[in-house]
Amino acid sequence: MPRGLSFEQIGVTEAMIATYADAVWALSNNIQVRRGDPIRKLDFAAFEAQRPDLGMSDGQIAAVLGLTRDQVLAIRVVTEARRFRRRNYHRLYELGRGNRFRADRYVAPAERIGYRADALALREAIRFDPARVAGFVRSGLWGDDTLTRWLASRVADAGARTALSWPGGEATYAELAARVERFASGLHALGLGRGDVISVQLPNVPEFIVAYLAIARIGAVMSTAHMPYRAAESRTLLAHSRARAFICLSEAKDYAPAAAALAMRPGLPGLEHVIALGGPVEGTVSYASLTASKGALPDDVASAPADPFLLLYTSGTSASPKAVPLTYQAMLGNARLGAPEHRITAADTVLSAPPYTHLFGLYSFHLALATGASNLLLPAFTPPDLAQAIATGRPTVLFTGPAHLAALQKSGLLDGMDLSSLRLIICSGSACPPELARAVAAKLPNGRFTQLWGMTETQAGLYTRPDDPLEVSATTAGRRSPGTEARVVAADGTPLPPGEEGEFQVRGGLMFPGYFDNEEANASAFSDDGWFRTGDLAVVDAAGNVRITGRSKDVINRGGVKYNPRDVEDLLDAHPAVMQSAIVPMPDSIVGEKACCFIVPRPGNAPSLEELCAYLLERGIAKYKLPERLETVAEMPLTPTRKIIKSRLAEVLANKT
Amino acid sequence: MNERAPREAASDPDAAAAKSQIVDYCKRKGALAVGVADLTAIDLVAPPGHRPRDILPGVRSVISVGVGGQTQGAWTVPTKAFAYFGSTEGRAYSIAYGCSFFIENRFRARSVYCPPDMDPEGGARIPLQSLKLHAELAGIGARSLAGDILLHPDFGYMYYASVFTELWLPPDRPLDSNPCPAPSCVEMHRKTGQTPCMKFCPVQCLSGDIDERGEQVEMRYDMAKCAELTQQYEAVPAMLADAFTAADAPARERALSDPDNALLWYKMSVGSGGLLAQCFECMRVCPIATRAPLADPIRRAAAADKKE
Repeated sequence: MPRGLSFEQIGVTEAMIATYADAVWALSNNIQVRRGDPIRKLDFAAFEAQRPDLGMSDGQIAAVLGLTRDQVLAIRVVTEARRFRRRNYHRLYELGRGNRFRADRYVAPAERIGYRADALALREAIRFDPARVAGFVRSGLWGDDTLTRWLASRVADAGARTALSWPGGEATYAELAARVERFASGLHALGLGRGDVISVQLPNVPEFIVAYLAIARIGAVMSTAHMPYRAAESRTLLAHSRARAFICLSEAKDYAPAAAALAMRPGLPGLEHVIALGGPVEGTVSYASLTASKGALPDDVASAPADPFLLLYTSGTSASPKAVPLTYQAMLGNARLGAPEHRITAADTVLSAPPYTHLFGLYSFHLALATGASNLLLPAFTPPDLAQAIATGRPTVLFTGPAHLAALQKSGLLDGMDLSSLRLIICSGSACPPELARAVAAKLPNGRFTQLWGMTETQAGLYTRPDDPLEVSATTAGRRSPGTEARVVAADGTPLPPGEEGEFQVRGGLMFPGYFDNEEANASAFSDDGWFRTGDLAVVDAAGNVRITGRSKDVINRGGVKYNPRDVEDLLDAHPAVMQSAIVPMPDSIVGEKACCFIVPRPGNAPSLEELCAYLLERGIAKYKLPERLETVAEMPLTPTRKIIKSRLAEVLANKT
Repeated sequence: MNERAPREAASDPDAAAAKSQIVDYCKRKGALAVGVADLTAIDLVAPPGHRPRDILPGVRSVISVGVGGQTQGAWTVPTKAFAYFGSTEGRAYSIAYGCSFFIENRFRARSVYCPPDMDPEGGARIPLQSLKLHAELAGIGARSLAGDILLHPDFGYMYYASVFTELWLPPDRPLDSNPCPAPSCVEMHRKTGQTPCMKFCPVQCLSGDIDERGEQVEMRYDMAKCAELTQQYEAVPAMLADAFTAADAPARERALSDPDNALLWYKMSVGSGGLLAQCFECMRVCPIATRAPLADPIRRAAAADKKE
């Protein structure tokens, strides 16, 4: 206080401050106006005339307002403290080095790079465990990997190499990076930024990859909707993910995704933009217009490796989709370390039969980007299109699923295909029937067949290596990927020795941090010591190769005898009259559960239950494992990655009974 | 207007010699420009409580020392680094401090270097003494459109210090002309209504008018806006107030120690300038500050080469 006196002692009250604040503020030095140059010209009369405009001392203000100098001082200091906003000085950090302030271009950091509430909620889902993070970083499992850094590295070391080729075009890494920068700038101009979820429903076209990398470039998070999804599925995912933008086709074959998304918007207040690829759709932002954006992106919008960059939904074979947030550290570290294990190099051309909306498809792209390999794009899988892509694009690495291979085989195309360009097949999605694996491997004059086990939650957890004997690759999912721990446990959680079947559990650097906004799922997904309960059944052999034997939820409990129907299904799939089979439990009042077999018969050749049972008995299947009901269907309900959705079959059964 | 005694005529040979020695001393120590302000003129402008005699009752002369400036490289550094370059403490004051000893030793007249900072009773924006006023009247700077920052036609942007002494010295006159606005600034103002300093100020605290002859008509400076950006005098009490009213212990901790506030504590602890920074964006774009003949070391060297 002035001269050691309190406000009360100098007669200053809050009412007085309120009364005189404006006048004191205006008369003090806060705003100065000088007319002419009176002091330099020694024109003291002119100076005196404008003294009030130059800012008055406290004593002068006191004389004008009829207060004491101490009162003015007290009022002025309090007023200034209350009126000055703090933190304007953040602007200082952005100035210098030619970055001059332009009011019309200034965007406050909070608006430019701040996380929105929804983005923070997603960030919160990344449960940081200091010891775990420190261990992964120290061991090199996690590094400074981000998609943006990887792309910049590829431009630097292989800018002229083909990054993408597709029917009718190709782009080098340098060209891809330029497109990404423009599209990212367009997204940024829409107000999208760090932590925002942008949902993408596109086939495997170059625009998907550009969107993916651009979303990463602005620090946003990509969520995907599989191409078969229609309004009901998309609405669920868009609502749960709190997506701020949706990138989709203007028109698909039998569906108008952009129009459907626009129609959903009243119920999705967070969905601000629908970005349509293709013809113009009123009310949407044109994908093409964003690629024409020329604005420069600030450096500080880029992601950090610890950031989530993907929000994927589980395929939902057994329950409602669950949201899986994934970080660069976990996913790109897994791919970086996986590339040499798969022996993928810059010389490779990688073809993904699965969609990029699925993590297995993205894994193929991550491996290619990590190494500088080329990506041959197959917009959508059909057996003829895949055969055509292999024939004309001559890929060296094929990512595929058993369902794709089976479709090729059953369509008769496999026999006539020239697979001489392939030096590696990586097969995943489900365990490949050994006979199918052997048949495909036999078609590879220069290549090796391998299998990979992964989940949306983990990316690549197990795989066979190119040098493994065929029998290992045909019958197992291989060994752990670098930085992955794996074990098989009994129902009580006790680890089982090699050769015994139990639940397969994993943990390590590849692991997702937990489901987003689904505490119920999180509560049951992890053991107390951090093992992820995959829900798969497995047997590990003495060499560490893991054979996935089924899903724990598929186990049939017949009168207390539990068995996994997978071996039965494998045999049925090999039956000459069966195209596809699946066994699901059906409730039984006496024994609890019995096995019901669903089959898709080959045209004009539907076998009976008795025929199938006889076939199985001939091949050594125990009687208690024989199906006790047969349902014939025209087609199986499939996930976008062509896995059978057994929960739908169980629903069919329940509706019939 | 001059209150000096009759024997102290402007042509006093002893006083002129003393002044010459003082100027030489200051220049040897690194001053670019030195002048003596007319004490009577100061008294006509400075308000009571802020006149030289309020510091040194027997003062008879006010010496203003200008040091400067920046290398061309300095103008390119980030602002947060440039803020350190702008501190006056380590430059002009050391010369003024030495000069006051020099006068007492050589001329046996009491002297003091002018305290460089704010009036502790007056708060954040009231200086004890206006060094700017001293320098302007001593003829080593003229008021610019950039918030009255002084500019010199040869040395550009300088830092100033003052020495008060009981030794009488013949005063100098203010500069005959004001280098601000530079011709290029006049041209820009005619086209856009703004000079570079006005355009690039981060808080748009500057505005003003220029007449047909290219001279200043009016300078408007929102000092509050400028100080809010660059000085942060109020930050510490505000920070403490935030801590007192914080909802819980983590919020209290953040109020005191988040990165911005930690920076303020650091700046305070090292006694660096205005607690946080000065931005100097107005000077960074000022052609006089950066390109005046003797303010630009590169031009200076080029001129010397040409001469040889």
